[in-house]
Amino acid sequence: MSRLEIYSPEGLRVDGRRWNELRRLECSINTHTSASDGSSYLEQGNNKIITLVNGPQEPKLRSQMSIQKATISVAINITRFSKMERSKTSHRNERRVLEMQTALVRTFEKNVQLHLYPRTQIDIQIHVLQQDGGLMGSLINGITLALIDAGIAMYDYISGVSVGLYDTTPLLDLNSVEESSMSSVTLGVVGKSEKLSLLLVEDKIPLDRMESVLAIGIAGSHRIRELMDRELRKHGRKRLSNVSSNN
Amino acid sequence: MVLQRKRLSDGLTVTQKVFVRSRNGGATKIVREHYLRADIPCLSRACKQCVNIVVPNAKNELPTFVLSEQPNKLIDGKRHYVVLDANIVLQAIDLLENPACFGDVIIPQIALDEIRNKSYPIYTRLRTLCRDSGDTKRFIVFHNEFSEETFVEREQGESINDRNDRAIRKTCSWYAQHLKPYGVEAVLVTNDRRNLELAVEEGLLAKSLADYVNLLPNSEDVKDALPNLETYKSRDQDLDARSEFKFPDYYSTARVMGGIKSGVLYQGTVQISEYNFLEGSVSLPNFSKPVLILGQKNLNRAFNADQVVVELLPQSEWKAPSTVALDSEHFDVNDNPEGDEDQPKESDAISDKQRRLLVQDAIRTQKSGRTQPTARVVSIARRSWRQYVGQIAPNSIDMQSGGTQNAFVILMDKCLPKIRIRTRRAKELLNKRIVVVVDSWPDTYKYPLGHFVRELGEVESVEAETEALLLEHDVEYRPFSKKVLECLPAEGDNWTAPESLSDAEAIAKDPLLTKRRDLRDKLICSIDPPGCVDIDDALHAKLLPNGHWEVGVHIADVTHFVKPNTPLDDEGAARSTSVYLVDKRIDMLPMLLGTNLCSLKPYVDRFAFSVLWELDEDANIVNVDFTKSVIKSREAFSYEQAQLRIDDVNKTDELTQGMRALLKLSIKLKQQRLDAGALNLASPEVKVHMDSETSDPSEVEVKKLVATNSLVEEFMLLANQSVARKIYEAFPQTAMLRRHAAPPATNFESLNEMLQLRKGMSISLESSKALAASLDRCIDPADPYFNTLVRIASTRCMMAAQYFYSGAYSYADYRHYGLAVGIYTHFTSPIRRFCDVIAHRQLAAAIGYEPLDLNHRDKNKMEQLCRNMNKRHRNAQFAGRASIEYYVGQVMRNNESEETGYVIRVFHNGVVVLVPKFGVEGLIRLENLTDDEQSAEFKAEEFKLSFKVKGMEKKRDIHVFEKVSVQVRSVLDPVTSKRKAQLILV
Repeated sequence: MSRLEIYSPEGLRVDGRRWNELRRLECSINTHTSASDGSSYLEQGNNKIITLVNGPQEPKLRSQMSIQKATISVAINITRFSKMERSKTSHRNERRVLEMQTALVRTFEKNVQLHLYPRTQIDIQIHVLQQDGGLMGSLINGITLALIDAGIAMYDYISGVSVGLYDTTPLLDLNSVEESSMSSVTLGVVGKSEKLSLLLVEDKIPLDRMESVLAIGIAGSHRIRELMDRELRKHGRKRLSNVSSNN
Repeated sequence: MVLQRKRLSDGLTVTQKVFVRSRNGGATKIVREHYLRADIPCLSRACKQCVNIVVPNAKNELPTFVLSEQPNKLIDGKRHYVVLDANIVLQAIDLLENPACFGDVIIPQIALDEIRNKSYPIYTRLRTLCRDSGDTKRFIVFHNEFSEETFVEREQGESINDRNDRAIRKTCSWYAQHLKPYGVEAVLVTNDRRNLELAVEEGLLAKSLADYVNLLPNSEDVKDALPNLETYKSRDQDLDARSEFKFPDYYSTARVMGGIKSGVLYQGTVQISEYNFLEGSVSLPNFSKPVLILGQKNLNRAFNADQVVVELLPQSEWKAPSTVALDSEHFDVNDNPEGDEDQPKESDAISDKQRRLLVQDAIRTQKSGRTQPTARVVSIARRSWRQYVGQIAPNSIDMQSGGTQNAFVILMDKCLPKIRIRTRRAKELLNKRIVVVVDSWPDTYKYPLGHFVRELGEVESVEAETEALLLEHDVEYRPFSKKVLECLPAEGDNWTAPESLSDAEAIAKDPLLTKRRDLRDKLICSIDPPGCVDIDDALHAKLLPNGHWEVGVHIADVTHFVKPNTPLDDEGAARSTSVYLVDKRIDMLPMLLGTNLCSLKPYVDRFAFSVLWELDEDANIVNVDFTKSVIKSREAFSYEQAQLRIDDVNKTDELTQGMRALLKLSIKLKQQRLDAGALNLASPEVKVHMDSETSDPSEVEVKKLVATNSLVEEFMLLANQSVARKIYEAFPQTAMLRRHAAPPATNFESLNEMLQLRKGMSISLESSKALAASLDRCIDPADPYFNTLVRIASTRCMMAAQYFYSGAYSYADYRHYGLAVGIYTHFTSPIRRFCDVIAHRQLAAAIGYEPLDLNHRDKNKMEQLCRNMNKRHRNAQFAGRASIEYYVGQVMRNNESEETGYVIRVFHNGVVVLVPKFGVEGLIRLENLTDDEQSAEFKAEEFKLSFKVKGMEKKRDIHVFEKVSVQVRSVLDPVTSKRKAQLILV
C-alpha cells in the first residue's frame, strides 16, 4: 500500500495541487550562446532541462543528407544524478531513450519548416539535469523554446504535458510519485489548436475515459504555451531594448 | 537550510520538502515539491469567509461544509470542535465511531498520514467515518500541510515528530482564531503528554482523552468505552490481577531482522489448536509439517492468526502434538499441571551455528517420527486484533461493588484468551453479549487488556446471537448506504425489460440493447430450492433438426445494473458474497436487484447472460455460444416439483420434454465427470426447519438430494467451465478463475493411519480418481454410515478451493481437483457471489459486448479482489455453520434424546463424538466417562482410550471410528454462557 494519499477525497494531490493544476514552470532562452545556435533552460516542477540546438548546418555524414529538406537529430543525455538515486549506467543507448529520441524527431518533423533548409541537419542536444516525472512533456517544451531561439522556422509552438488517470479523475502534469502509481499519457499539442503532434500512450487507459484525459491535457498544454510565449516575448523585448540602446 | 517559497499566482505558493531516507545503509536525499494554497476551507457552516474561496473538483462539485454551526457543548457550555491527534485515533477508533460522543471533529492531514502509515485498517475506518458521517457525526479532514496559513517548517534540530505535533497545534490554533468571531472553540485532544503540555503553554484548549470525556455532559455513558491504557499509568495498581510471572521479552527489531536473514528465526502465522488453546502451530515454508508451539510462555502473547517470528527450541523439548483437550474458559492457571517453569535458560546460549544444525535435525525428525520440533514466539510481526464478541465471566466480578472494576471477558472464539477490561457497568453487562477490543498485552499481565465497545443484547436472544456471529465472522450486515441505493435504477420495482429490442426510445437509453439476443421464445424454466427468491439461473433444452440438443443456461444479468466503479460495485466487492443464516440472509446486493430486477422470475421479461451449447446425444459439446439476452421464464420449479413433473408420464408438453432431455443429458455429464475422477465428498450438513407460526426452530433434518438437484448442478458446472475457457482465452493474465489444489499427502497421514489400524483400509492419494475409488471402497458392511464418515473426515483433510486470477498460477495449477476439471470459474450466481460478477464482465468484454473495466485487467487490483473474495467466502461459510449450530442447540434444548454417534478423535482426557443426526460434534471429557480417572489408559498408537465405566468395575475401550450411543442434550455453560451440545456416553 502506498504510504501517501495520491488523490485525497478532498481533491488534493500528494504535492498539494488540485487535479487541473500545472507544476511551476520557469524557462529562459538563449542561455548557452557560445555553445549553440539556440538554447533553452526549462524547469517544470523538479524537471530541469538544458536544450541546445545547432544548425541548420552541414550534415556530418553525407548519407544522412536529404535533398528536399533538413533532417532533425535528437540526442538525449540523462545525467546519472538526475534521479533520487545515482544510476550506475549512463542511459545513452537504452531502448527507452532511443524511443524517446525517435518520438521527438517525429513530433518536430511535421512542425518545423524543414523544406526551407534542404541539405542541412538540425542537431538537438538535451541534457536532463534533474527529473521528476512527465519528462517527455518537458523535453518537448524545451526543444520548442530552443528551436525558436535558434531562429528556425516553425508553424507553431508545440507544448507537451502528461496526464494521468486516477480511478476516474484525470490529473494534469504528474510528478514522479504520481507517475509510478497510475497510468498516464503524454501529449504534444500544436499551438492553440486541438491538433496533437504527439500522443504517447504506454499504459492502459479505458477508452471511455480517454476523452476527459485529452481534454484536460490540451487545456494544460495551452496554458504551457502561454507561459512559454510570455517568457519569449519578455526576452524579445529585452533584446529589442538592447539593440535600440546600442544604436 | 532555509527553503525558498515562491509565489506562483494568487493563492498558490511552492516550496520544497526535503528529507533524507536511509535504505540499505545508504542515505538518499529526497526533494519534493510542495504547493501551499489559500483555498483550503475550514468547512464550518458557521464560517462566513471560506465559502468564497472554495473551488470545485474534477466533477465540478463544490466541497460540502460539514461542521455544524451549533456544535456540541462541553459541560461548561462551551460550543466546540475537536482537533484530534493521531494517537487518539489509533487508540480509540471505536470511541470515535460511537454515536454518543465526538461530533464535529477535525482530523489534521498530518495526523491522517501518520495513521495511514501505522494502521491502514484504522485509516480506512476513519475515512469511511469522514465520508459517511454526514449530518450525524460530522468528521472532516483538514489539509493543514497544504494550507498556507497552517504549514509549518521544520526548525533546526527539531525532530520530525516534534514538527508534526507542532503542525497539529498550529492547526488547532488556526481554527480557534478563525472561528472566534462565530463563538466556536477548538479543543485539541491528544494523549501525548509533551504535546499536551506545549499546547497548554501556547494557550490552546487541550485535553487528554480521559479529561475530554470527563468534560462531556454524557461522560458517564462513554467512559466505559475508553481504551484500557493502564500501562501508561501507575503500574502498581491492582497487583492482584497481575501474576508473579512475566512473559519473555520480545526480541528487538534488529535482532529479528538479522535472525530471519541468517535463517535462525522464522516468520509465519500462528494457528491455535481448536481443541487446546495453549497449543499453536506455525506453518513454515521449509518444514513439511507445522512447527508446534506449546504452552503459554512459548506462545508468548500470540493471538490466533497473528503474524509471528519464532525460534526453534532445543531438541530435548520436541514433543508430539498434545493429546489433551483444553479450553481457555475452563482453564485456570493455578491448577494447571503443565507448568512453564522448565523454560530452558540454556536455549539462549545456543550459538547460531548450532541452531542451523537444529533446523536440519528438525526437518529430519518431522519426516521420521511423531515427535515434532517445537518453537517459541520471539516477536509479533503483525497483530490480528479486531473487535471480539464475548461475555463477562460472572466469577470475575464483585457483585457488591458499584464502582469501576476489572472483569474478564470470555470470547466466543475458543482459541483466544480472556480479556481484561475495566468497567463500571459490570453488573449490568452480566449475561449480555458484548463487543470488546484489545488494547495491549504488556509482558507482566497474564491476560491482554481491552475495553468495552458496546453491548449486543441478552445472551441466547436471537438478535444478539445473530449479530454476534456476524461480527465474529466479520460479515458486513448493516443496511446498504444511501449512496449505494442511489445506483439502482430509478424505476425501482417498476423496471421492465423493453418490449422490443429495436425500439428506438429504449436504444437511446441503453445503446447496448441492440447487442442483446431475444430469447423470449425459448421454453425456459428455473429449478431452485423451495422458497427461493433470488433465482439466478434458468435452463432450456430444444431438439435440433440434426438430432443434437440446443441447451441454454441463462444467468441473471447483474452486471447490467451493477456498473464498475460505482458505490454499488464497491459495496458488492467489499461484501463479496451473500451470507445465508438459518433465519436470515445478508445480501451482497440490495434487495431490489437480488430478488426482483435480476432474479429470473417466471412470467416476466428479464435480462440474462446466456450460454448456449449444441450438445450431441452423449452430451459432448459440439458448439458453444455466449450472448447477453432477454428471456422469459415459463415456470419456477422447486426441486421436488421439477422431479414430479418429469416423472409424470401424462405430461408431454414441450417444456416437460425439454426438462427430461436436460435430466438425461445431465446424467451423462455427471458420469463423464465421475469417470474423470470427480470427488463425491460429504459434510455433516443439516437443515433447520422453522415453525411457520412462532418462527421457532422445531426440527433438524439432514439435507436430502433429488435427481433434479444434480440436473441443475451439472449444467452450472458445464457453464462455468465453458466460461472459464472463454475468459482465459480473452484475458490470459487476469481471467477470474477458481482452483482447488490437490491435498498434500501429509494431510491424510493421520486419517490413513487410523483407517489402516482400525479397519485395514487406506485412502489413495495418487490422483483424484484413485482417491474417489478408494473412498468408494471404504465400506463397513455392518454400518452404511461408515462410508459417509470417512468422506466427512477426508473433506476435512482437503485443501480449500480458492479464487485467483489467471496470472497468479501456471496453467497446470488451474486444476479443480474436486471436480476433476482443468479450468473452472464461478459464473452462475452473480446475485450472491462477486466472482461471478467479475466473470460476467470479463465474458461480456470477451464477446465484444462492452469494454472491460480497468480494474479487472489489472493484476494488482485482481489480486486484492481475489484475496477479499476468498476471505469473505470462508467467513460466510463459517457464519452459516455457526448459525446452524446455534439453532440446532435451540432445537436440542427441547428434545433430549439418545442418538447414534461416532468417535472421530481420541484424546488422552476425552473423546470427540460426531452425531450425524444433528451434525454436531462434542468432546466427552474423561471425568464424565469414569469415576476413576487414574485408571484410564490412553494408547496413542492404537487410538484407544480405556477406562472403568461409571459405577462398574468393568473396563471399557473406546477406539476411533467406533459407533457409540450417546445421550444428546443442550446445556448452557455457566462460565461462557454458550449453549453447547453435551454428549453423555450411554
